[in-house]
Amino acid sequence: MNKGKGRLALIAAMLAIVLVVGACGNNGGNESADGAEETAELIWYTIGTPQKDVTAVMDQVSAYTKEKINATVTMKMIDWGDYQQKMQVNVASGEPMDIIFTSAGGFDYVQNVRKGAFLQIDELLTEYGQGIVDTIDPGFLEGSKVDGHNYGIPANKELPQQEVWRFNQNLLDKYDLDIGKVRSLESLEPLMATIKANEPNVTVFGMDKNHVPYVPYDYLITNLPMAVKLDTDDYKIVNILETDEMKQALATMRKYYQAGYISPEAATVGSTSDLTLSGNWFVDRAQTQPLADNQWSATYGYPVVSTPASDAIITNTSVQGSIMAITANSEYPEKAMEFLNLLNTDPVLRNMVDSGIEGTHYEKIDDNRMRNLPEAKNYDMPSYSLGNNMLLNLNENDPDNKWDVFKEFNAEGVASPILGFNFDSANVSTQMAAIQNVKEQYWSALMTGTVDPDEYLPTALEAFKQAGMDEVITEAQAQLDEWVAEAK
Amino acid sequence: MNKNRKSRNFMQLSPGWNAFSNATAALFSLLCVFPFLFVVLISFTDEKTLATNGYRLIPEKWSVGAYSYVFETGDMLLKSYGVTILITVVGTLLSLFMISLYSYAISRKSFKYRRFFSLFAVFTMLFNGGMIPTYIIVTQVLGLKDSLWALIWPLAMNAFYIMILRTFYMTSVPDAIVESGKIDGAGEFKIFYRLVLPLSLPGLATIGLFSTLGYWNDWFNALLYIDDPNKVPLQSMLMRIENSMSFIQQNSANSSISLEVMQSLPQDTARMAMVVLATLPIIFAYPFFQRYFVSGLTIGSVKE
Repeated sequence: MNKGKGRLALIAAMLAIVLVVGACGNNGGNESADGAEETAELIWYTIGTPQKDVTAVMDQVSAYTKEKINATVTMKMIDWGDYQQKMQVNVASGEPMDIIFTSAGGFDYVQNVRKGAFLQIDELLTEYGQGIVDTIDPGFLEGSKVDGHNYGIPANKELPQQEVWRFNQNLLDKYDLDIGKVRSLESLEPLMATIKANEPNVTVFGMDKNHVPYVPYDYLITNLPMAVKLDTDDYKIVNILETDEMKQALATMRKYYQAGYISPEAATVGSTSDLTLSGNWFVDRAQTQPLADNQWSATYGYPVVSTPASDAIITNTSVQGSIMAITANSEYPEKAMEFLNLLNTDPVLRNMVDSGIEGTHYEKIDDNRMRNLPEAKNYDMPSYSLGNNMLLNLNENDPDNKWDVFKEFNAEGVASPILGFNFDSANVSTQMAAIQNVKEQYWSALMTGTVDPDEYLPTALEAFKQAGMDEVITEAQAQLDEWVAEAK
Repeated sequence: MNKNRKSRNFMQLSPGWNAFSNATAALFSLLCVFPFLFVVLISFTDEKTLATNGYRLIPEKWSVGAYSYVFETGDMLLKSYGVTILITVVGTLLSLFMISLYSYAISRKSFKYRRFFSLFAVFTMLFNGGMIPTYIIVTQVLGLKDSLWALIWPLAMNAFYIMILRTFYMTSVPDAIVESGKIDGAGEFKIFYRLVLPLSLPGLATIGLFSTLGYWNDWFNALLYIDDPNKVPLQSMLMRIENSMSFIQQNSANSSISLEVMQSLPQDTARMAMVVLATLPIIFAYPFFQRYFVSGLTIGSVKE
């Protein structure tokens, strides 16, 4: 009895301590809310290595936005690799946030829409975001709908994705090779043979373990084998490994591997940066955007040219490359939308956010051109993640028509038949995990030609089947059919 | 003669076995040290040579470029050093203080609630609230977001260390010593710091070493609680760089990310240099704690 009392007293004492401390914490929180009646204080989480001058720049931004829309902005940057995990914790714990960056690749957009992390913004968009609707390519807003609603504002930049073959121009010139006729995987062969014969030390066909030969299909989930043919009319989901196109591509890859064009390490190596740094390669495949050749050449320090390997396709992944969403727990959703509207339509604000303070981080050389000053290293932001790119000032050596080229590129893009369809794998999550495991086991070795597809493709297909591929495809097909019926 | 040889054989190994054991031990320690030596070598390799030739034991071209890069761009690194050293020292002292008191209390048989408090500690080993509730407590209840205390408090108490130290007190500090203090008129605190603590130095050193390493190597708390780049500890900074590298590589298909960002990340050699710089200081922690690992202090202090 006595013992019990003692324990109770102890627990009571501990509770009291927690409560007192908790009360202190709450007081701290309320202060910021008190000022809210006048000016909205927006908190903006975005991706990228934290920069020293973010606070200084945001003070300027806030001064500007306070005048325009009566809101101030605090930006919190979270480093690339931490973003996903940290934002999950932030969302789950109800950390105060208003605007957050999300994309197909980091802090997954669709997944978090389904978890309820973001506010549905259909009404806000019509009421406060008219500028966005008028400015950015309609394909973005259409393509980023989940289950028929908008949950974020995609950044206006390159809309479709297009695969290109990149060539090391030094080697092209040396052997006087013509890339005009290159397009398919097979068409590379004569060029690669020349290089292999003359330059035994060069990696002819550079690739890492994530390489997948291009076939004209759109994947339901990046790098998992469920896909729909691009020119489909019956919206049938297939296992990519069972298609004739992929079988042929794998056979070709195997041929190239045996001819020594592909490095024996390809199936295990995580990046080709060694090759691009040393210039010891001849051809590889990459995703392009307008003027990418110039950027590649500038980055690597030697000329790189490219030629298309596919059409420009608008897919979910390309549309969801960079999105800004308003959080479900935002205190000022209207102000947040007004701010996003301003960010995507007002060049002054957009450039301030991107390049910092004029005279400190950059200087203007004429109306729409700028040059970075040495201080720019303290405010070096990833432009793609911060809203409408087409409002940005040009850099010193950008061509005058940079954004026109982008607009043309976007206009050329062809929408994938399943653009806007987002597979919800909740019902088949066990099978999805098993499929992921099978994929880890076979994928890279098959795709890089390291193993013989005649022998291993049937094994891999069998393994996928055992992992529950058929059930996943049935489930996905049902969802897709429903989506198609609704869309029509 | 015969007798002599026998006794020698009894005490030591035959030369053959001796050589064999030494060779095995040498080989094993080489295996342990080699990866680190290799990292050191890579950090002194020229970046371009590394890209062309790959990793080599004796690089074609040596360079201190990585170190000058780290130190040039490196007020970041120095700040992180400061943070790590601060939290390691403060944290270790704090956790030694708390753990030694707590476990001493529950090691004393005359303490009425020792069962309750032992269970109380063990309970946290078996069950915990999980990441999100912990996060909410630390940031919202305790208000430690972006504070260095958020790196210190969560690691300060550790139920496992409490159990180790309690067992240490119980086995190597005989009750009779505590009694003798009482007879001489010492209070509980005096007994603790004049008699028990000096006898438990090896145990305290063990816990001290553990928690020093724990603080030095902790990166996860910083990932959760620290946003301010000036308060990021060393390991967390390395982790951020590694994570960011792999994030960018995974997303290298997205041309706009990879092009812009690849350039801003440190190269291979610079990362190795950071690893070397982050590891060196902690190596010296071992000899420091080693001198406390003396056993047999209590032999002969009590006659059973």
